This record gives sequence, structure tokens and C-alpha cells, in this order.
Amino acid sequence: MGLIDQAVDALETEVNNLKSNVKDAVEAMDHEYSGSLYDTILTTKLGKVVGWAQKNALWPATFGLACCAIEMMAMANSRWDAARFGAEVFRASPRQADLMIVSGRVSQKMAPILKQIYDQMPEPKWVISMGACASCGGIFNNYSIVQGVDRVVPVDVYVPGCPPGPEALLYGVIKLQEKIMMEAGTDKAKKRAA
Amino acid sequence: MSVTDQGLLHRDKDTMTLNMGPQHPSTHGVFRVILEMDGEVVQTAEPEIGYLHTGIEKTSENKRYGHVIPMTDRLDYLNPPGNNLAFCLTTEKLLGVEIPDRANVLRVIMCELSRIASHLVWLGTHALDIGAMTVFLYCWREREMILDLNEEISGVRMMTSYIRIGGVAKDATRPWLDGIRDFIEYFPAKVDEYERLLTKNPIWLDRTEGIGAFTREEAINWSFSGPALRASGVNWDIRKAQPYSGYDNYNFDVPVLNNGDIFDRYRVRVEEMRQSRIIIKQALERLPEGPYKTPDNKVSLPPRETLHTSMEALIHHFKLVSEGISVPVGETYVPIEGARGEVGFYIVSDGTNVPARVKLRAPSFMAIPGMCKMMEGCYIADVVGIIGSIDIVMGEVDR
Amino acid sequence: MTSEEIIEKVKAELADAIQGADLPQGDAVIFVAPDSWHAVAEFLKNDADLKFDYFSDVRGVDYLLEEREPRFESVYQLYSIDHQHSIRVRVGIDEENPSVPTVSDLWKGALYPEQELFDMFGINVDGHPTMERLIMPKDWEGFPLRKDYPLTTETVTFSYNRGFKSDLVKSKPPTR
Repeated sequence: MGLIDQAVDALETEVNNLKSNVKDAVEAMDHEYSGSLYDTILTTKLGKVVGWAQKNALWPATFGLACCAIEMMAMANSRWDAARFGAEVFRASPRQADLMIVSGRVSQKMAPILKQIYDQMPEPKWVISMGACASCGGIFNNYSIVQGVDRVVPVDVYVPGCPPGPEALLYGVIKLQEKIMMEAGTDKAKKRAA
Repeated sequence: MSVTDQGLLHRDKDTMTLNMGPQHPSTHGVFRVILEMDGEVVQTAEPEIGYLHTGIEKTSENKRYGHVIPMTDRLDYLNPPGNNLAFCLTTEKLLGVEIPDRANVLRVIMCELSRIASHLVWLGTHALDIGAMTVFLYCWREREMILDLNEEISGVRMMTSYIRIGGVAKDATRPWLDGIRDFIEYFPAKVDEYERLLTKNPIWLDRTEGIGAFTREEAINWSFSGPALRASGVNWDIRKAQPYSGYDNYNFDVPVLNNGDIFDRYRVRVEEMRQSRIIIKQALERLPEGPYKTPDNKVSLPPRETLHTSMEALIHHFKLVSEGISVPVGETYVPIEGARGEVGFYIVSDGTNVPARVKLRAPSFMAIPGMCKMMEGCYIADVVGIIGSIDIVMGEVDR
Repeated sequence: MTSEEIIEKVKAELADAIQGADLPQGDAVIFVAPDSWHAVAEFLKNDADLKFDYFSDVRGVDYLLEEREPRFESVYQLYSIDHQHSIRVRVGIDEENPSVPTVSDLWKGALYPEQELFDMFGINVDGHPTMERLIMPKDWEGFPLRKDYPLTTETVTFSYNRGFKSDLVKSKPPTR
């Protein structure tokens, strides 16, 4: 056996010793700290926890009206990926959804149906008015278009644009999450849940 | 209120009335259809439309010609340049303006790009309705590239308003042309990818082959147009039958199939995407130098730099901006081949700067009664497949 | 066939039914009275040389502001798939009891646009199976695309103020 081989052997033993030492130390640390972590008491309001859970699991209703619906689909899709913000589970039935994205112009014929769909959604629920037409009638100031969906249902967030890009709608969703978190635990949120 | 009270279940007959829409994920908008069901089989299908009635025709009759163009974008919102082109061609026909060659080529590129984008939305949502999720994600991946190109040339992802009366809004930029070159190199492999997922997929074949079939005579009689007509064996493409914007200068095939079922409509549209790519490729090769809009200053604004030196240019600029284009008295109609079929505006002019009548010929609107006829005798599960295969867009149905 | 040939042919065969013919920008256009429209349509569809088998569209036009007689007009666009030519038929309709015969028995595709003609202009289409509102709500009053129908009945308001908005909602006429 040559000198070099001996040196390599010695080095390997040294490295292995070091490894097992580190492993022992880490295990000891884990043991020590895990116990203390689980003993820790964190105080918060239940309302805050509920709000935190709600904001990270917004379920929009599949409610496409016009042009904006295409951009809404783009938001949920591969490139923009609303799943990063927990808002990608589009539900076909309003009874399973808690977010209504009014994506497009609302006609006089559609308004009562929109109201009905809103009423069918369980509390707590939120509304995003997407695009210029849903927010204020947009370029269509005429006999058939409701000049803003807020005349039919209460709106939480308005997203401007014609149509707004998916990034704008994502920003709207984030703003809504901030709003939910801000309202969490207050009387307003209690009223929503009641 | 019970189901019986609402009249949904009739005690005295064996059928059940099923309401589908206007809020339904597979009706592609706010389309509503009332189905009379015998067990799982549809007996009659009664459409109900108008939930997206926007009054665009009435509003257009109160706006200047140039201001109508953004309205046309919002009719068929999957294929806005097609609508722009239809409106501009009709107005130009009344005006009698010659369009420079470069503008025509740019228009063709824009329209064909948007045809691809529209078919991608159709393929993604149609496959999603029938149950294939992956195609949906893949199609959107390529569509985003086209939308980026739109943003580069016009500043907007969808509603480009790029085609204007007398030419196009601005000249082609280098990044745009480079982007299109990259895209048409990249795209064919992706079409093959969609086809690998669907064309020989046994589930897809079971759900599409022989379902919702229309014969040649039926398709013509029910005024189908575009891919739905060509899948029934009718060789009718307005790009070939009544060429506009120099489409007679391009070599491309019009796919025609004979079964007229969902599967054939699928194959026609997939082949159209390939042909559109070929047209874009030829257009890029023959893109001529020259002006991108007509030099007639009664129709298009004079170049900005001439305003400081030429009195005439200043007057034209002032007249165009403050008054708009005055179109001679007359009425005309120019059809074009949009992504869904024959699109065209019927314009009546009373000699002022505001059109007296603007009427869109919408392929989806014309196809709806035939589509509901097609549903009769089908299973309930095939209804979404049929709606998807006709590719209706409610924006142009209700207008 | 070219547009000139189509007009010559139609004029030769249906001299008394045709009120006039025109060639604006190279399109073949014929003028027909409502009474003879169905017979003309039948001829246009079944004649071997013309064979207009494809119904493209029908549009209503209201010529109220031009003050001409008759006030309304329905304009039909027909194609022949085999011969690849087209024709436009303009049917003038009087203001009193406006009505026009249906052609949906010849072309099924005419069902919807003819119903829209009634919905938007109040032109009765005789013989049409479902003469009711198509696009507008069933209880809507007036015919929106007539020139004497106002474009808008509502003004735009911007407000973030909930209270102001709710007042607006209360004072607003019902949406149906």
C-alpha cells in the first residue's frame, strides 16, 4: 500500500467522523428545539385566522360575460397562473364559489340573472368588477348596457382596462386579499359570515 | 318552490325540460339553450340569446367612421382584426380609396395571426369541454406569444384596432417582424403536439366522430359559414371566392372535409392554423417597401412633420381630427373570411361623417338555429361538444 | 356570372316584379316590392343559371332621417356557392303596418335574422313561425334600431361613495 493510498484512507475516515458528528449534533438540536416550538403559545383572533384562510383560498365562479372573460381565462392559465395566489379553482356552480369576477359588459337582460347568481353564492362572498364596461359602462353608454355592475351587486375591487390584462386582474385579486385581511376580525367580516 | 311548481318536470308527459345557461362553463359565454329531454336524449333544443346585447349597431350609428373601429373590436372579441378589416374595407369601398400594397400585406399578417389565436382559444376550450385539460394549457401558451406580438405593434393584447380606414395604424416595427419570424418557425411543431394529444386519442374519437353531423345541403340551407361549412364538404372560402386585401397573391389550400361532424370541424380548423402560418410566411417574404397608409389626406392624417411647413397638410389635419371622414351617399357590403366564417358590415351612408346604418353579418349568429337543430337526437353530453365545435362567440351573436 | 349579366337575366325573366336595378361599386342590386318578394326569391333560388342557394343575411334599414318613401327597407344578401356570384335585394317597406313575407321556407338560415328584423325594427315578417322578441327581453318596449328610439336613457356617474351610489340605485328606474 502506497503512501498516497494511506493518506486517502485517513482523509476518508476523518470525513466520515465529521459527518457522523454533525448528524448527531443536528439530531440533538432538532430534538431540543422541536419540543420548545411545540410548546410555544401564539395568540391571535380566530377572525384573523379565518380571514387568512379565506384570502388564500378564493374560489371564483366561472362567470364569463364578454371579452374580459378571455383575459380571465388567461389569468388562470399556464403563463399567469393564478394558483400562485390561491385563486385558480374556478367553480361552475355559484353555490361553490365565493368570488364573482364580473368579466364584461352587463346588459339589461343579464342584470337580473347576475343578481340571482350573486344571491346563490354562499356568504362570505366578494365581487371583482373587471374592465371598464362592468365598472362604469365603458364605451357603451346606451339603452342596453347597465352603467356599472355596482348598480346591481356591491363591488369590492374595480379593475380598470379594456380589457385589463391578466396581470391587472391578478393585482385586483391581491388587492382583494389585502382587503379581506384588513376586514378580518372586524364587525364587517362578522356581518359577512352571519 | 319545488321542481314541479317551476314546470321543469311535467307529470303528464315523459320528457324533462333542462335549462342550460346563461351561466354555464361550456356555453362559451352567455348562451342559453332550453333542452327538452327524453331520458338522456335531446328531443328539442330551443336557443335563447340576447344576454350580451350591447347595442353596438345603434351606438355606431351615432359615432364617426373612425370611432366605430374600436367598437368592432368588441364584437367578435377573439378575432378583432377581422372585424376591423371588414369595417374598413366596406368604408373604403364607399370612399373609393386605393390601399397601398404594404398596408394590405400588414393587414393580412395581422388577420392571419389573429385567426391562429382565435383557433387556439377554440381548440383549448373545446378540448376542455370534452375533458382534455392539457390541450387547454398548451394552446394558451402559444396564444400568449401572439398576444405579445399584438402588444408590440398596437400596445394592447387583444383589442388592437390596428387596421384603420385607409391603411394601418402604424408601420411594422423590427421587433414585431422578428417576433413573427420566430413564431412561425416555432409554431408547426406545436400544432403537431396538439394533434398527437387528440387526433388518434380513442376518447376524443368516441366523443367527436359521427356526432352532430350535417350534410352539404343542410349546412348550406342553415347558412353555416367558415370552417363549419367546409367540414360539410362545401368549398367556400371568401379569401378564394371573392378575394380581398390581395389574398389572391398567396398560395394556400382551403381544407375541405365531407363528414360534417365534430371531428371534421376539428380537423378543418387545425389544418387552417397550418395554412395561416403558410400565408404569414409568404406575406413576410413579399412585404414591400412603401407607405403603410393611403396618401389621400382626406382619409388618413398627413405625416406629422409636414404640419409645420405645409398649409394644406395643416387644414387636412384639422378637418380630419375635428370632423372625421365624410363618406359619399351609398350603401355597400364587403364580406371577408373571419375565423368563424363570413364577416361583413353592411353600411348605409347619408353623406355625413356618421354612418346611417351599420349592420354586422355575424357567422355565429347565423349558425345558432342550425346548431340547435344539430343537437336534436344527440345525447346530453354531446351538446357541449356541438356548441364547442361551431365555435360561437356571444359578442357577435348579441351585438 | 358577372353582376351585369345577373341583372340582365333577372330583368328579362321578372320584368314586372322588379322595381329597378342598380350597380353600385360593381354589386348587383335589385329593388323589389314586398308583395312580389317571395316569388322573386323562389325564382332566384331555383333558376339553374342563378341558383342562389346560400342565404347570407338580411338587414333592416330605417330611412327616417332621409325622409324618403318607403321609410323602412330590408336588404337581403344571397350567394350562389356553385357559381360564386352574389346579389343584393332591397325590399322597401311602408311605415304603416310594416310587413314583409318570410323566406325562411326557402332558406332555413333566414329564421333568425328575420326574427331580429322584428325585434329591432318592428317589421312583421308574414309567415314566420316565431314572431317574437329575439335579442331584447320579452317585455321590452320600443324597437331599438329605429331612428326615433333614443340611444341612451342613463347618464354615467363615477363615485366611490357607497351612500351616493345607493341613492342612485334607489332613484334609478327598474332595469327590467
